Amino acid sequence: MSSQMAELLWAEKYRPKSLDEIVNQEEIVKRLKKFVKEKNMPHLLFVGPPGTGKTTAAHALAHDLYGENYRQYMLELNASDERGIDTIRTKVKEFARSKTPSDVPFKIVLLDEADNMTADAQQALRRLMEMYTATTRFILIANYPSKIIEPIQSRCAVFRFTPLKKEDVVARLKWICEQEGCQYDEEALAVIYELSEGDMRRAINILQAAAALGKVTVDVVYKVVGLAKPHEVREMIKLALDGRFMEARNKLRELMINYGLSGIDVIKQIHREIFSSEFKLPEDVRVLIADYAGEVQFRLVEGADDEIQLNAFLAWLTLLGKKLKAARK
Amino acid sequence: MSTRALPWIIKYRPKRIAEVVDQEQAKKLFIPWLQQWLKGRPPEKKAALFYGPAGCGKTSLVEAAAHEYNLELIEMNASDFRRKEDIERIAKVAATQMSLFGRKKIILLDEVDGISGTADKGGLDAILELINHTKHPIVMTANDPWDQKLKPLRDAALMVPFNRLPEHAVIEVLRRICNAEGIYCESEALTIIAKRSEGDLRSAINDLQAIAEGYGKVTKELAESLVVSRDREYNPFETLRALFTSKYAWQAKRAISHSNLDYDTLLQWINENIPLQYSDPEDVWRAYEALAKADVYYGRIWKTISWDLLAYVFDMAGPGVALSRKKSKFRWVKYQFPQKILLMARTKEAREVREALAAHLASHLHTSKATVKNDVIPFLMVIFRHRPDYAARIAIGYNLTERMIKYLAGPAASEVLEHVRKLMLRIEKPTPITARTTKPSTQTTPTTTTTTATTSVTTSTSTRTYRTRRVTSRRRTSKGTKTSSGRQTTLF
Repeated sequence: MSSQMAELLWAEKYRPKSLDEIVNQEEIVKRLKKFVKEKNMPHLLFVGPPGTGKTTAAHALAHDLYGENYRQYMLELNASDERGIDTIRTKVKEFARSKTPSDVPFKIVLLDEADNMTADAQQALRRLMEMYTATTRFILIANYPSKIIEPIQSRCAVFRFTPLKKEDVVARLKWICEQEGCQYDEEALAVIYELSEGDMRRAINILQAAAALGKVTVDVVYKVVGLAKPHEVREMIKLALDGRFMEARNKLRELMINYGLSGIDVIKQIHREIFSSEFKLPEDVRVLIADYAGEVQFRLVEGADDEIQLNAFLAWLTLLGKKLKAARK
Repeated sequence: MSTRALPWIIKYRPKRIAEVVDQEQAKKLFIPWLQQWLKGRPPEKKAALFYGPAGCGKTSLVEAAAHEYNLELIEMNASDFRRKEDIERIAKVAATQMSLFGRKKIILLDEVDGISGTADKGGLDAILELINHTKHPIVMTANDPWDQKLKPLRDAALMVPFNRLPEHAVIEVLRRICNAEGIYCESEALTIIAKRSEGDLRSAINDLQAIAEGYGKVTKELAESLVVSRDREYNPFETLRALFTSKYAWQAKRAISHSNLDYDTLLQWINENIPLQYSDPEDVWRAYEALAKADVYYGRIWKTISWDLLAYVFDMAGPGVALSRKKSKFRWVKYQFPQKILLMARTKEAREVREALAAHLASHLHTSKATVKNDVIPFLMVIFRHRPDYAARIAIGYNLTERMIKYLAGPAASEVLEHVRKLMLRIEKPTPITARTTKPSTQTTPTTTTTTATTSVTTSTSTRTYRTRRVTSRRRTSKGTKTSSGRQTTLF
């Protein structure tokens, strides 16, 4: 590893700065480079799974348009962190009034996780886009295009980012290892790819944590992921199915308070676990559990209390476990 | 019709003056006064004012006397004292005309202290008028007759004090009722009921009936759990006790609506204690599901600002939870304070640090706080807890505060901080860096990447930052460490 005094997260350190550095998503990069050349572009909508380079591409595009100090011409917003459309409106308004670049006729508003906005907020966003269209271009980023309303989609050039190929991810990880001078097993990099489900950011996070612990081997990778994502959710489900409701409830508290998971995080993880082979459950029971989990998640999205809803879910699992045991006898 | 439907306070109300328990002083004042009326020689004071605490027999004495002397009881409640015309229409007629069957009458004006000065304008004058012209005895009752506005009534009436009933008197009545009903009851239970009634026989009888009808017996345990003082809110423990022992929906609703807790906290108390109270998994689930529904309705109140929905919150959190008990036997449990509230308070600081850290890193990584919390912080924790030296460099790289380092490193915090300190000592600075340095660090950082330069620690102004030192280190690391030690020791 390098001997610098200060270290950054590799996901930031090795984020491509310019479109030229982006090695995958060739088609997209080609089209974006055209915008840079013409110094003009429509509103853009980047859609695709997490960690496929959407945000990176947006930054690289701005970098190539405005140069090193591109950030003064780009307003970066994250829909899930902003407190509603009104704050977004205010920020966009202020930004539109700020200094304009000399040789590019527009500034960029980057709105990440736009699919987290309600349909109403998106309607308001659409009006914003029209209002400032003379001086600004919007780049909207979303995981699910279907969650972006039709009028916005029709106003944007849509770019679909495809999941990264294994070779691309592994090649990038290898390259980072060489930059950092850390030792690795090829096999371990493949495992990182599997565990990160094609999400480059997550893959790099795993790599960095594994490299911090020593040589990047398969064992170390699993260890790191195990440490970072404890099996509390799985244990909690097991306890409930085993009839130990009180212990399951304590686990739930641990997860929410010590690990800072929200109720929605927990129920999503539960949903993932339910279909894992870890649990010897009849297939139809898995569906039953998923159905209940869906109801709980809906209630939580509606604003219900995390603990009360999840406790109700755990109580139901406990009862289910008891019935399954009785049926087996 | 079943006799069970009849409230015991009506079924067992005294028919004769002697049956009215205690209150000998009141009887001594009232009976001679009444007998004067009956002998056709109205006393000077044509009205009597019975005063004393609730449920000590004021109305009962009037009713018993009416029964004993075969008088027609004409009753008016304070709630009827709304307007002068009402009083005139009803009471004046009664006071001036002979009864059709020649029966003598007694007029009861209940709860005269319920008349409020302005709203019942003219009400008091009408009563005084009535007293002046009455041909029948008038008895008024009041809990508190000493209000200034009631002075004219006090002057016009024979004052008859009633005392809080002694415990033994209440117990005596309760025992009599139990015997009459043929219900098993433990004397300890009656003592508990009597004690809690604070001399209010009416509430004691109501409590007795609630337990007896709900459980067919009156035991000490049931009495302790069910009997709560009236006319005040329940504390959380009383709320839960009353809730979990409810047999009928109305009891459970009462438990909930009498609670002194706000609705959020109330739901958390129930949430905490369902599995302590119920043992059968099916009961536990049913209760939780009812509570979860209450919670959903409660959320909708806020969403739609329709407080009408509160009734459904009560229905689910009250009867919904209470009536979920099918197989679990009632057991005596020590209810617990909601752990969630305790834990939230205890972990408040950690959560704040995590939030600040997420915001801080999110701006560097161009992602949402949620992604940082889920995908970045867990891995940082691994690094901070297993590689303090490397972690220290990341801490410097991101200008993390001491609190953030402690949060990430947990038990390894002191090691990481030690490494940070060591790293800082190796840095030599071109200009003195002390608290006097006012120049924003961003302007001194031409060599850093733009992303790190435009953001800085947002959490608190008092946090120590490493940015300037980090930057100078890049420029000057080769120059050794000689000059720095003195100042660096002030870093932490």
